Amino acid sequence: MATTTATITLSSADLLTDSLSLSATQTLYKAGTTTGVEEYDMGRVVVPAGGSPLILVDATAAGNDKAGKIYVANKNTDETNYVIISMNDTVIGRLYSGDWMFIPWSQVDVSADIEVKAPNEANAVEWVFFHEGKTFSAA
Amino acid sequence: MATTTATITISSTDLLTDELSLSTSAAFTAAGNSTGIVATGGLGRKTTGNTTEYTLLDASLYTDDAAHKVYLKNMSVTPAQYFEVQIAGVVVGKLYAGDWALIPWSADTTGTNCDVDITPSHANMVLEYMLFVG
Repeated sequence: MATTTATITLSSADLLTDSLSLSATQTLYKAGTTTGVEEYDMGRVVVPAGGSPLILVDATAAGNDKAGKIYVANKNTDETNYVIISMNDTVIGRLYSGDWMFIPWSQVDVSADIEVKAPNEANAVEWVFFHEGKTFSAA
Repeated sequence: MATTTATITISSTDLLTDELSLSTSAAFTAAGNSTGIVATGGLGRKTTGNTTEYTLLDASLYTDDAAHKVYLKNMSVTPAQYFEVQIAGVVVGKLYAGDWALIPWSADTTGTNCDVDITPSHANMVLEYMLFVG
């Protein structure tokens, strides 16, 4: 098995009266175990402006109810630009330029795709999906 | 304005043949500008009594379609224990023991009721959370 860790550090000297400093590390395990995940996919795409939401990462039956994790970062540098992140056709939130997210993704059904939309301008988006396997499309 | 930074580092020496190392930082700003966020929902720690669904964050209390971020961490050390996380009634995923997440949150209340809900797999589990109000 592989050992993959993800660490977050949240810090601010002036958001609160006292300094904020928080750090947490997780090892990416398969669901309900201490066995490390062994598969991942990654990519970089330029999401075209406007239009309908596009599928960034396709949910598959093999990922159903597993302990997948997905990282997505908006690499645009214009502060007014953002991408809308949706799942199952439902908006979760917005990633503004430079923002990133790291979330669990259980793929409750094959419609639970990670979708992205860039309302204003084209945005470059990078992503990594750590998973326990996926269903491949037939050739 | 405040300067608040979130950094993620993902690394592995054996997931691939070559080493994996990814790190990026984001400064939390308000929606559509470079002004640092000035509000937080505070760092909270919640012990759930049973396995029913709890509303962790009420979308109606926050501005719709802004740049909010939610930090979650499951404090359990038992591998099988998880929190199922839902946003707007959609299951996002299961946060297993020791897992954390940083989730963008629209807090939308016009199109959907975008509350953040959690359902623990077992009784008496502990979740730490923080809302950064964008």
